[in-house]
Amino acid sequence: MIVCVAVVGHQNNPLYIQSFTDADDSLKLRHIVHCSLDVVDERVNNPKKSGPTLNETFLGLLYPTENYKVYGYLTNTKVKFILVTTDLDVKDADVKNFFRRFHAAYVDAISNPFHEPGKKITSKTFAERVSTIVKSFGLSSTG
Amino acid sequence: MGREVSESCVDSLLTEMVSMYCNRLYANKPELAASRIDAIGYQVGHQLSERYTMERPRFTDHLDAIKFICKDFWSELFKKQIDNLKTNHRGTFVLQDNRFRWVSRMSLDPSENGDLSQENAEAAENKAAQEPNMHLHFSCGVIKGALHNLGIACAVSADPSHLPACSFVVRIKP
Repeated sequence: MIVCVAVVGHQNNPLYIQSFTDADDSLKLRHIVHCSLDVVDERVNNPKKSGPTLNETFLGLLYPTENYKVYGYLTNTKVKFILVTTDLDVKDADVKNFFRRFHAAYVDAISNPFHEPGKKITSKTFAERVSTIVKSFGLSSTG
Repeated sequence: MGREVSESCVDSLLTEMVSMYCNRLYANKPELAASRIDAIGYQVGHQLSERYTMERPRFTDHLDAIKFICKDFWSELFKKQIDNLKTNHRGTFVLQDNRFRWVSRMSLDPSENGDLSQENAEAAENKAAQEPNMHLHFSCGVIKGALHNLGIACAVSADPSHLPACSFVVRIKP
């Protein structure tokens, strides 16, 4: 089950953060997202020679914490997408699919001429699309 | 599932935008009009580059990003690629388009304005030469916005001496 998704800009400024649990631990989730930014920077600046090519947008599992797994995705414009999930066995292909759809929704949201680059995304359509993507992620991974 | 836009609509929109900024909003201040048009182009390029780099793996260096501009970005905008790319390997690139779409249908003949007296002819010629320059400010802004979004700070200028062939000079700031 996806707990939280976040979009972070290229100066590590948060552009969108949305949690999908009922519990009131949004602060803890923000903290997890913040820590995962360091891992993203480390992966980008110190590529392992035997790992995947450093041109990949999908960064894979960033780090597992107590109950959560955190996945990262870095676009060409240095915007980072962070996904926090509680599922124990999530296939990489599912996460990649999720990020691809999320990226499409993000691109549509920032193509809005009234959106100011660098500011938070306030579009309701974007929030609805993200909810739809998150719900269908849950279904496809259990089905 | 892409949507299509009529090309003549885009041409008309650009023409009207340039004419509005040059003739109505900043009628006596062409530098302000130019920088405003450049800023509009910057935002457009910024957003377009986000969309067109969606499926691609990340770029390794500046040359990759410039090649992306020359090939994919230009094809998406103008259905053709940049015809010639030159570099001095020290951060300056010249992108040459032999038939730049947005100015290819513009009249370059200064005598069309109808005034036959000498000083008016010169003023008319200056004004006619300014129009394609203003359009080029928009295109420079688009390129600058796209490159800035890819993490490359640069200055872009256009060389309109042989319209409709147009060269864009990109100088990467160190």
